[in-house]
Amino acid sequence: MTEAVQVQLKKGVLELCVLALLARGDAYAYEIASRLTKGIEMGEGTIYPLMRRMQSDGLVDTYLVESSSGPPRKYYKLTATGQSSFAAQKAEWTAFSQAVNDILGGAQ
Amino acid sequence: MSRQVFMSRLREGLRGLPQKAIDDIAADYEAHFAEGEAAGRSEADVAAALGDPGRLARELRAEADLKRWEEQRNPSAAANAVFAVLGLGALDVLILLPILLSVAGTLFGFAIAAVACFGVGGFLFAAGPFIGQGHEIAAVMLAGLGVMAGATSIGAVTTLVTIAFVNGLVWYGRLHMRLLKPALEPQGGLS
Repeated sequence: MTEAVQVQLKKGVLELCVLALLARGDAYAYEIASRLTKGIEMGEGTIYPLMRRMQSDGLVDTYLVESSSGPPRKYYKLTATGQSSFAAQKAEWTAFSQAVNDILGGAQ
Repeated sequence: MSRQVFMSRLREGLRGLPQKAIDDIAADYEAHFAEGEAAGRSEADVAAALGDPGRLARELRAEADLKRWEEQRNPSAAANAVFAVLGLGALDVLILLPILLSVAGTLFGFAIAAVACFGVGGFLFAAGPFIGQGHEIAAVMLAGLGVMAGATSIGAVTTLVTIAFVNGLVWYGRLHMRLLKPALEPQGGLS
């Protein structure tokens, strides 16, 4: 039961977390995966399907940067659509989590 | 699992996508292995953290197939989208299959009926001058036209309902898709 709730919760916020990370600065996928796994307990494999979906939805864009070690890195950056989607989702999340916290606090 | 095994299983699973898409996706995972190696992790460690390559390939393909259905509404894109959603295991096939089959069968029946009516109407229209006399010719031909028009509208409605049906299925699949499930099952973190 707890596990199912966690999966649902994380699933809903993963895209929001990626948007938030990219709002702070452009990043490459490995970096995004490692920063996400630090905060949220998750595997790293499906960051790529997620990034591809966000790219085909027009939320993020990519560009290549030469790397000192190995091949060029693919960086992701937010598009204008991504920025407005982030603002909207963040506001929604804040209001929602505030409401849930109020209820949880009131139940004690 | 070694990097080589992981990559070949991934490519295997992606077969059917455009070559460029496969190369793009493969490059992403190759880069991930390279980054992991640079960070001092073993190939087996990185592969384990990435998850099952077959599963990842199914998700990437499903995403591509759903996208294609949204861009071009034709029967082959519809079939691919439906199979992609089913392939994800997002829907309980055993429960859904009878419903799916009966709806698809009904739609197929309507489509056949529309084609058949159109043929009958066409025949009436063409044969009118030969089987009737005087006023009857015009009547038979008009009746033929009417049947053809009716068939066309049945066909149009069937097409619309089919599109709506596939859209609904895709929407439901997306909603329940366990797209991120492997990402949420910890398989050995990065650090």
